[in-house]
Amino acid sequence: MTTLTENSEMTPGLRTLLRRLWGERRARWCLAAVAIFVLAAAYGEGVYRYAQWRDETPGYQKTNLSERYLPPSPFRDPFGQARRAGAQTVWQITVGGLQALAHHPLGTDNLGRDVFQRLVQGARIAFLVGVVTALIAIPIGALLGCLAGYFGGRTDDVIVWLYSTVASMPGLLFILAIALVVGKGLLGVYLGIGLTTWVSLCRLMRAEVLKHRDRPYVVAAQALGLGPMRILFRHILPNVFHLVIITFSLRFPAAVGTEVFLSFLGIGVQGEPSWGVMISNARLRLWQGMWWEMTFVTLAIFAVVLAFNLLGDALRDALDPRLRVRDN
Amino acid sequence: MKSDLARYIGRRLVQMIPTLLGVILVTFILFNVVGGSPATQVLGKSAGVRDLDDYDRQRGFDRPLFWGAWAKTRLFNSGQWGKIASGLWRGEGLEWGEREDGFPLKVRRQVVLPLAFDPVPGTRYRWEIDGQLTPGATAELVCLEGGREIGRQNFPEGAGRVRLDFTTPPESRSMSFEIRVSSGMVELKMPILRRALPHPWDSQLYYYLAHLVRLDFGESVSTHQKVSRLLLDGLGPSLALAIPIFLISLTVSVALALLCAYTRDRWPDRVIVVTAVALMSINYLVWIVLGQYGPAYRWGWFPIWGFESWRNLVLPVWIGVLSGLGTHVRFYRTVMLDEIHRDYVRTAFAKGLNERQVLFGHVLKNAAVPIITNAVMAIPFLYTGNLLLESFFGIPGLGGISVNAINSSDFDVIRAVVLIGAVLYVTANLVADLCYAWVDPRVRLG
Repeated sequence: MTTLTENSEMTPGLRTLLRRLWGERRARWCLAAVAIFVLAAAYGEGVYRYAQWRDETPGYQKTNLSERYLPPSPFRDPFGQARRAGAQTVWQITVGGLQALAHHPLGTDNLGRDVFQRLVQGARIAFLVGVVTALIAIPIGALLGCLAGYFGGRTDDVIVWLYSTVASMPGLLFILAIALVVGKGLLGVYLGIGLTTWVSLCRLMRAEVLKHRDRPYVVAAQALGLGPMRILFRHILPNVFHLVIITFSLRFPAAVGTEVFLSFLGIGVQGEPSWGVMISNARLRLWQGMWWEMTFVTLAIFAVVLAFNLLGDALRDALDPRLRVRDN
Repeated sequence: MKSDLARYIGRRLVQMIPTLLGVILVTFILFNVVGGSPATQVLGKSAGVRDLDDYDRQRGFDRPLFWGAWAKTRLFNSGQWGKIASGLWRGEGLEWGEREDGFPLKVRRQVVLPLAFDPVPGTRYRWEIDGQLTPGATAELVCLEGGREIGRQNFPEGAGRVRLDFTTPPESRSMSFEIRVSSGMVELKMPILRRALPHPWDSQLYYYLAHLVRLDFGESVSTHQKVSRLLLDGLGPSLALAIPIFLISLTVSVALALLCAYTRDRWPDRVIVVTAVALMSINYLVWIVLGQYGPAYRWGWFPIWGFESWRNLVLPVWIGVLSGLGTHVRFYRTVMLDEIHRDYVRTAFAKGLNERQVLFGHVLKNAAVPIITNAVMAIPFLYTGNLLLESFFGIPGLGGISVNAINSSDFDVIRAVVLIGAVLYVTANLVADLCYAWVDPRVRLG
């Protein structure tokens, strides 16, 4: 039994994994950042659904032309505002100032829409894109990779042909073409990214399953008379599952970046404030001195992508020593 | 040895064929099977039936996908035939019915089938009309050429389809088609007019392959230029931007990776790694927007837009290098560190060589294989890699052309760019393998 548990290539359980990650300071920060991102996305989804259910314009779409180009609240002298509004005592000034701080905390855009709320909606769309594309790409890649690695022969030939064909297509343009053919909107983004990014996982899975195919535990399972599907998915897959986790952590930030790109070009999200839409809007206003929308969107994307990148590295170190990226 | 190499190249070329066929098939499936005719998307909603039909015919979209005897015409082929055709129908005793599934047309006496265009002379056509007759009614479909009847067919009793084949005479003057009802009433559903194809394999796939063989990628909708001409014109500016980016970023990132390997686990390495991860996480768009705003607009160091002198290229090249630097440095660093743990490095140190000798004499040489692979595989992306840079800085290269094509739904251009990119990738794969064999004597051409 000891030999089995000490096998370093076994995918550790979720609890072990989290304990290992939590043991590292940097990974802890990343987990926290990812948690904030997920919460923001969930909150954004709530706001979106609520507005849909009430059939009213959601807060992030409300325009207010009297409050256009409002800089972020700390730049608006909130406490001075409170004093000018008639606050006398220290208490009144504090309360009034805090209220002014909470009013459009990150400023408003050229139509007087709240940048903070739009940022949260952007998080929601980024999260959706990351998860849905992973849900498309990962099952395809994992399934095809497993089948190719385990069965070999004709199956392998066909699958290798399939993924080398898809890998030959020029990445971003292929995604753009798919999104264009499917039609503008989130569905096109999902399909475009999802249907093109399964190749790397498929390759990794195939190579790994190929190595496991002749391991004693697989031979033992075969000797017991288990069917190939059962061996593949109940015995081999759990042992190579770390590849799925690592791929997910790498694909997620890439998908977020691609979505920004697509929405920026106008093929992505329509009528909703995604980060790409916000950048495209903020870009034109930057020249007019509206720096805040651009800055905060940039920071949000940077934080999310950085957190996922670092988390991906930590996951790789924790899960698969052979894929180690950091040399310490 | 030489014949070995030739045989190897030959075999690899043969192996490329399935992938190339796959690429052609994927573009075909994407643009023809999934996409279908983009005529309405390209020409707009207000385009006439005739223009739509012309678009389809010019680009082969009227043919069946893989094989079949008949091509579609756009005559009423839009789903909402009631809306489109209601202004065109004329005749006696016409009325529109009310039904869930479309707008059946009721005919009491006689109706002329409206045609948006004249049929091509000397071609075989086929009408297919679904009709439902009231009990005891008789109706027929008549085909006239300059007032002379050249074909007629009775509607079957009850509900059924009438099918009338006719061939337009070589010098066709004016074709017209009538439905004559002698008694009772007939209710029509959408009529379909099909054109006979010269042979059953004259399909969209055949059309596509035949044009590919002639290196004909179609015609741009917005500029009415040949796509091949358009792409050739774009190649120069694209390469002018891509090659400097490629060379600079390769040199800089390999140098930085070597520096990392040389000072591993000391502060220069740490700083470079942290910076690389940070650079990786900055979105490409942000680089462009900030680069255009800061250095170009605010401080006026570079021109913002255009393609006139080398000065126009400086800023985009900088942005291109910086935005890819993080990923490259990290990749090359991993490659170097992989090598550093090998036995030959330990041997070299044991022989008494110093770190610099080992790094440059041994490690770099051995790391050359993955570096070259990575570099060669990056070459096909030079061709499409700078979509945004080009469109933002007004460089009339392939990237800028592609973005314009996307904005104007110019499918022929996009398809050609995707296809050529894929072919380049497959070729680069071959070149990378040859480089392997050239750099690394251990790789046998087996």
